[in-house]
Amino acid sequence: MSQNAEHIVDHFDLFKQPDYQDMFKNKQQCFENRVPEIEVEKGQEWSKSWEYREINFKREALSINPDKACQPLGAVFAAAGFEGTLPFVHGSQGCVAYFRTHFNRHFKEPSSCVSSSMTEDAAVFGGLNNMVDGLANAYALYKPKMIAVCTTCMAEVIGDDLDSFIKTAKQKGSVPETFDVPFAHTPSFVGSHVTGYDNMMKGILTHFWEGGQRKENGKLNFIGGFDGYTVGNLREIKRLLGLMGVDYTVLGDGSDVWDTPTDGEFRMYDGGTRLDETRDALNARATLSMQAFSTDKTLAYIKEKGQEVVALNCPIGVNGTDRFLMEVSRLTGKPIPDELKKERGRLVDAIGDSLSYLHGKKFAINGDPDFCLGMAGFLLELGAEPVHIVCTNGNKDWQAKMQAVLDASPFGKGGKAWAGKDLWHMRSLLFTEPVDFLIGNSYSKYLERDTKTPMIHIGFPVHDRHHHHRYPIWGYQGALNVLVWILDRIMLELDRNSSDIGKTDFSYDLVR
Amino acid sequence: MSTDVKTRNKEAIEEVLAAYPEKSAKRRTKHLNVYESGNTECNVKSNIKSLPGVMTIRGCAYAGSYGVVWSPVKDMIHLSHGPVGCGHYARGGRRSYYVGTTGVDTFTTMHFTSDFQEKDIVFGGDKKLDKLIDELETLFPLSKGITVQSECPIGLIGDDIEAVSKKKAAQIGKPVVPNRCEGFRGVSQSLGHHIANDTIRDWVLDPAAGKHQDFESTPYDVTLLGDYNIGGDAWGSRIILEEMGLRVIAQWSGDGTLKEFELGSKAKLNLLHCYRSVNYITRHMEEKYGIPFYEFNFFGPTKIKESVREIAALFDESIQEKAEKAIAKYQPQWDAVIEKYRPRLEGKKVMLYVGGLRPRHTIGAFEDLGMEVIGTGYEFAHNDDYQRTTHEVKDSTLIYDDVTGFEFEKFVEKLKPDLVGSGVKEKYIFQKMGYPFRQMHSWDYSGPYHGPDGFAIFARDMDMAVNSPVWKMTKAPW
Amino acid sequence: MGALRQIAFYGKGGIGKSTTSQNTLAALAEMGQKILIVGCDPKADSTRLILHAKAQDTVLSLAAEAGSVEDLEIEDVLKFGYRDIKCAESGGPEPGVGCAGRGVITAINFLEENGAYEGMDYVSYDVLGDVVCGGFAMPIRENKAQEIYIVMSGEMMAMYAANNIAKGILKYANAGGVRLGGLVCNERQTDKELELAEALAKKLNTTLIHFVPRDNIVQHAELRRMTVLEYAPDSKQAEEYRQLAQKIHANAGKGTIPTPITMDELEDMLLEFGIIEAVDESIVGKAAVAA
Repeated sequence: MSQNAEHIVDHFDLFKQPDYQDMFKNKQQCFENRVPEIEVEKGQEWSKSWEYREINFKREALSINPDKACQPLGAVFAAAGFEGTLPFVHGSQGCVAYFRTHFNRHFKEPSSCVSSSMTEDAAVFGGLNNMVDGLANAYALYKPKMIAVCTTCMAEVIGDDLDSFIKTAKQKGSVPETFDVPFAHTPSFVGSHVTGYDNMMKGILTHFWEGGQRKENGKLNFIGGFDGYTVGNLREIKRLLGLMGVDYTVLGDGSDVWDTPTDGEFRMYDGGTRLDETRDALNARATLSMQAFSTDKTLAYIKEKGQEVVALNCPIGVNGTDRFLMEVSRLTGKPIPDELKKERGRLVDAIGDSLSYLHGKKFAINGDPDFCLGMAGFLLELGAEPVHIVCTNGNKDWQAKMQAVLDASPFGKGGKAWAGKDLWHMRSLLFTEPVDFLIGNSYSKYLERDTKTPMIHIGFPVHDRHHHHRYPIWGYQGALNVLVWILDRIMLELDRNSSDIGKTDFSYDLVR
Repeated sequence: MSTDVKTRNKEAIEEVLAAYPEKSAKRRTKHLNVYESGNTECNVKSNIKSLPGVMTIRGCAYAGSYGVVWSPVKDMIHLSHGPVGCGHYARGGRRSYYVGTTGVDTFTTMHFTSDFQEKDIVFGGDKKLDKLIDELETLFPLSKGITVQSECPIGLIGDDIEAVSKKKAAQIGKPVVPNRCEGFRGVSQSLGHHIANDTIRDWVLDPAAGKHQDFESTPYDVTLLGDYNIGGDAWGSRIILEEMGLRVIAQWSGDGTLKEFELGSKAKLNLLHCYRSVNYITRHMEEKYGIPFYEFNFFGPTKIKESVREIAALFDESIQEKAEKAIAKYQPQWDAVIEKYRPRLEGKKVMLYVGGLRPRHTIGAFEDLGMEVIGTGYEFAHNDDYQRTTHEVKDSTLIYDDVTGFEFEKFVEKLKPDLVGSGVKEKYIFQKMGYPFRQMHSWDYSGPYHGPDGFAIFARDMDMAVNSPVWKMTKAPW
Repeated sequence: MGALRQIAFYGKGGIGKSTTSQNTLAALAEMGQKILIVGCDPKADSTRLILHAKAQDTVLSLAAEAGSVEDLEIEDVLKFGYRDIKCAESGGPEPGVGCAGRGVITAINFLEENGAYEGMDYVSYDVLGDVVCGGFAMPIRENKAQEIYIVMSGEMMAMYAANNIAKGILKYANAGGVRLGGLVCNERQTDKELELAEALAKKLNTTLIHFVPRDNIVQHAELRRMTVLEYAPDSKQAEEYRQLAQKIHANAGKGTIPTPITMDELEDMLLEFGIIEAVDESIVGKAAVAA
């Protein structure tokens, strides 16, 4: 009798019961041809060794647990930040099922996106008909204000041309001639999701700006880049810009669509950058991007159009936020209000209060290129030591920049930036050169399990912790959130490591 | 009453079709119907291409071959061959439980990929695959074999993964199984199941028929097929099969191993959970090895008892006796669960939209709790699935094949169920609308729901969804 | 400097397309035009006569070596040849593997993004055989070549290919700005070649822009990996290419939307000119014994 109606147990406890445990053992012994335990243990120990690490780092063809997604995911994210916009992915339909699921699991929100559902015949004859029918159906059913088209690798390999397909679809009446259908080619065998974000953002701006005559209006454009914290971050940024009295446009504002209320209504679209604002953004004085590696081509395009562009690297912490505010102030001529100086002081105050738990603690970080730069920068401010920084979708430029950040601080000595490496490389790093804490996304949790390195969930995607994306990590308030997440984990570890009654609990302190 | 419901449901269909462009409405109308009792068909078209641009909920052949069938085989390495995305999104989300030391002798939740770059597309990926398999062997010597799961570009650039697989299998002395499950093939996950069934047959099952000569068979050897051990479902079933005196010699593929695939042909009876995804291989085993198959349903006590007794009837009296004993053992537990939860759930109406078998198999469990399924449909069913569905659904049930996001939303608005059961892509939509929801693919991170102990969890979770106080707060009081 | 002219040469394999295009472009260079040649053929021989060597450093081979296209510098792939003509070859896989079409897309995107087109008067794409897939249509997409010149001859297969290429152009012409610039007939000395070429041009709603007579001097020049313009600048053949170059230069904006014809129409035309004979329907499908 395994279940009691008054105390029902699910998988967590059910399978720990002896009848199930016996069943497992029997299955393993009789039918599995299981590797003998001793060999498994040997293999496990070997995988922790320097020898294994060296073999592991020699890999050329195989990627294991890479920490990056593919371009169209980023393109869908960028598109979703515009008013009434339905992302449309031209190619195989399974991709869209995956993208939507990925966003559902991170934001705990609906994710609306359609596919042109190309199949074998489209692979041979091209996907023009899928585009023609797809745009017509999407337009009729989901009544978008704009449809933003990107591609899967299938459409890219066969060489479908979005520009001519969309024009032909309009000629055939799928959507009105004047209906906005920006597009971006987003082959998944190039770059990663941050590249896809960049391509789609550029595609949308190109759509609205080409042929326009720029008349500078003194406004500031703000681009967040691909960001799992977009909900909290953009709201915080808007608050800061509001406090400074800046006239601004956030390009790609997904803060509402990724955080809709439960009130009886499903909002397929919510908020987002207005299309007229997007068109008018050509006239801004300057554009500030929070994530340089996520907006590389976009910024080059904006610069070409005559605006000044400033690119930061996901600034987290005191110096990063200082730089952000000072750039905003410089670009707009608006002073930074005293209120923000006070906020800054409160953050510095918090860091000072907690320094003894942070100073000298060794960290490993994995995540997107700009996130790694921002996160490591903050750790250096805290007197903590970033040791391994693994960025699967980082390129040579990233590696040089990241290494320079580390080398410039006494707390970064001995730290190393690893571009293009995956989380199986990280596993070897953590075994051979252990650190105190690991900062990463949900995929990093397997590293915590394997190496027992306590982990703080910060990054994208976070599938197994709830609601963190609703908090900012940018601004002084954002930095405070990150600080608290890190400290909570550090102190939980202190308690866990001193809770053995009668043995270690002398250090189980009431006051820390 | 029934005619009112029928009229309303037919109206619901008319209303959604009106929103489509004419050409698309014509095609969608064939996938929607209201079931007439006594009919042996649901009278909907299925397994047909999804319309472009309508927000189908379906996935692809890769998801069917890699995600569904192969990835749970725990002691083999499954390579997502092509660009990085597919395996990244598919990783770890399925909850196909297993016991093993991940990264050493077990690999299911890991992501292995050839991470195709532009140059691999242009110059072809066969050399990379060759080298990659050597690297796998070096780093994971305890793996029992490798499967290659093709992503879209592989089939478009003409790589010969079969040739590479044959060559490498000979070199490393382990099976290397090539699967041509490019996502653009077929119309849904379904073709991926078929492709995987075929590779199981050609690269594992048939070649191994003469292997394991020392294996001692018993008259009670059965297999458990098409159970992917979501949240531990297969374990939940295995335990009662063993209690009734049967010996489960293979689990395909949840918590499964290569050896269990090799032992498959030695079974006396194949027990099928998900008919859709394994019917091809079980038909083959019936023809080639004379192994009959039986589709069982362990959702809820009514169906469990029915299935257990029918399975036992295929064996001798000793099994039948033990089967009755097992039922008797669980009966009080089930009674207590029903006594507790039925009053809270009685009369509640449910709409389902799931994958291979749950749109019909879970109906009995809902009914055990006094709930009624008023609408159901499949992502990737074929007509034989819909025929089987007629045994489970009541008159006037709304049937929707390959439902689109738009249709599902409108149907729920019209039918106003007390609970919606579907996937994560649908979950938040309906919760925003104020409808209680359970994910019926992943069991919403709970489970097992299948098997004698699973029913209690199923009941607890449906109650938790339907009767949570949160749904009373969706409207502001002013 | 006027606006950049982007042109492309298409035609059946072996028709002498690369030879014609290089000689013509050499003549354009003589006229003082700044020229970039983008070879879009995995064989990478579209610039051989200009460079006096087969280009070894193709965009794709270098990218494969460096790891990815992003790691390439534009200087690595641009070569300078006769009269400073800039040359780049996309390169691509061995026959039977990979996806050459995708290679063309990759290479052109790279060149464009890295400023290879800046300061040029002409960009010319030399494209493999038929428009076999989307990749090989890359040069005729929006914002790429505006004028397509089809190199053909009086042979049936060459005309068939020319018609197919016209179909490819038509697909993109309605939505975008690509036009058929004209046919260039490379004399093969088949029956009624000039008349046939002119007739086909008319059917396709274009003109036969030039009829290039056959002359062995072309082969002599090729043996030395040179254009005729460089090998024998005073020859009659060099003059032919100069004429062709001038016609192309004067042809800006005069391209047309092609009107490809059906297989039956093409066959009728060949019949009319006596290139093929009418099929005796009674023998169709009969084996030798039965006949």
